[in-house]
Amino acid sequence: MILLKLFLEFFKTGLFSVGGGYATMPFLYEISNHYGWYTLKELGDIVAISVITPGPVGINMATYAGFKTTGITGSIVATLALVLPSYFIIILVSKLLKRFEDNFYVRSTLYSLKPAGCGMLAAVGLHLAKTNISDIPSFIIFAVLFYMTLDFKRNPLYFFLAGGIIGIIVKMYF
Amino acid sequence: MNKPSLIELYFVFLKTGIELLGGGFVIVPLLTKNIVNKKGWITKDDLMKYYALSQSLPGIIAVNTATFVGYNLRGKTGALISILGIITSPFIIICAIANILNQLTNLTIIEDIFYGVGIAVIILVYLAVKEMWEFSVIDFPSFVIFTGAFCASFFFNISPVWIIAGAILYGILIKIAGKWAGR
Repeated sequence: MILLKLFLEFFKTGLFSVGGGYATMPFLYEISNHYGWYTLKELGDIVAISVITPGPVGINMATYAGFKTTGITGSIVATLALVLPSYFIIILVSKLLKRFEDNFYVRSTLYSLKPAGCGMLAAVGLHLAKTNISDIPSFIIFAVLFYMTLDFKRNPLYFFLAGGIIGIIVKMYF
Repeated sequence: MNKPSLIELYFVFLKTGIELLGGGFVIVPLLTKNIVNKKGWITKDDLMKYYALSQSLPGIIAVNTATFVGYNLRGKTGALISILGIITSPFIIICAIANILNQLTNLTIIEDIFYGVGIAVIILVYLAVKEMWEFSVIDFPSFVIFTGAFCASFFFNISPVWIIAGAILYGILIKIAGKWAGR
C-alpha cells in the first residue's frame, strides 16, 4: 500500500513540476507534510546529498526520498514514477511538435507553470529557513553563506563545503 | 546521420548520468560532447531545441532532454532506453550513500556537518528561485501567479496540484482577456 502511495505521489511530482530538479521540492515538501516519510530537516539533507552527487538533482532526490520510505524498493518505485510522465509527454510532444507549439492553451499553460513553480519553491525555501535557522550559530552560518552569494561562483560545492566547515567550528563554541 | 544501436544509446546516457553534476544547463555541454561531436547522431540545433522544450515541459530537464534524443533516434524503445541509461548511475550512487549515511547518523561530527550544510541548502534554494524568477516572472500577470502561488503554499499549505491548476486557469483567462482587449 505504501508503495502504491509512493508511486502516485512521485508520478504526480513528475507530471506537475516544471523547471527542473528544484521544482520538485514543493512536492517533496508536501509529501513530508502529508505522510511523514521523512521530516523537513531530513528533506534538507536529501537535497544536500542530491546536489553534491552525480546525476540529475531531481532523480537523486526522488531516489533518496524513496529510500527513506522502504529502502531500495522505495527508491526504484519513486524514481520510475517520477520519470514515467516524461516518457509519455515527450513522445506526445514529439509527434505533435508544430501544432503543440502554436496551440493557444498549451502556450498559456506553459506561461503560468513557471511562475507558479517559482512561487512554491520560494515558500519551501522559507519553510526550510524557519526550521533550520533557529539559533545564533545557524544565523551566523546563514549570514556568511549569504555574503558568499554576492561575489562567489555559483558552484554549490563551495556553499556545502563552507557550510559544513563553519558548522563544525561554530558547534565547538556554542 | 548514423543511428545508434539501443546498447550504444544506453551506454552514452549511462556515461552522461555519471558526468552530470550540478543539474540544469550542464546537460547541454555534456550531450554536445558525447552525442553531437563524438557520435554525430544529432546536430547542435536539434539539441538546443530539445533542451528548450525540456525546460518548459513537466519533469526533470536532463531526463526530458534524454527522452527527446532517444525518441528521435530510436522511437519509443529508444526513449525508454535513454531514460533508464541516465537514471542508472545516480540511482546506484544514491542508494549506496543512503545506506552508509543511515549507519552514520549517530556520529556527532556528521550531525555538525549537516547542521551547516542544511543552511547551505537554503542558500541554494534562494539562488534557484532567483534564477527561475528571471525566466518566469516577466510581466504583471506572471507576478500575480508567483505571489499567489507563494502565499497559497506558505500561508495556507495548499497542495501544489491545486496551486498549479489555479495558475493554469488564471493564465488562460488572462490570455483570453488579452485577446479580447486586443480586438
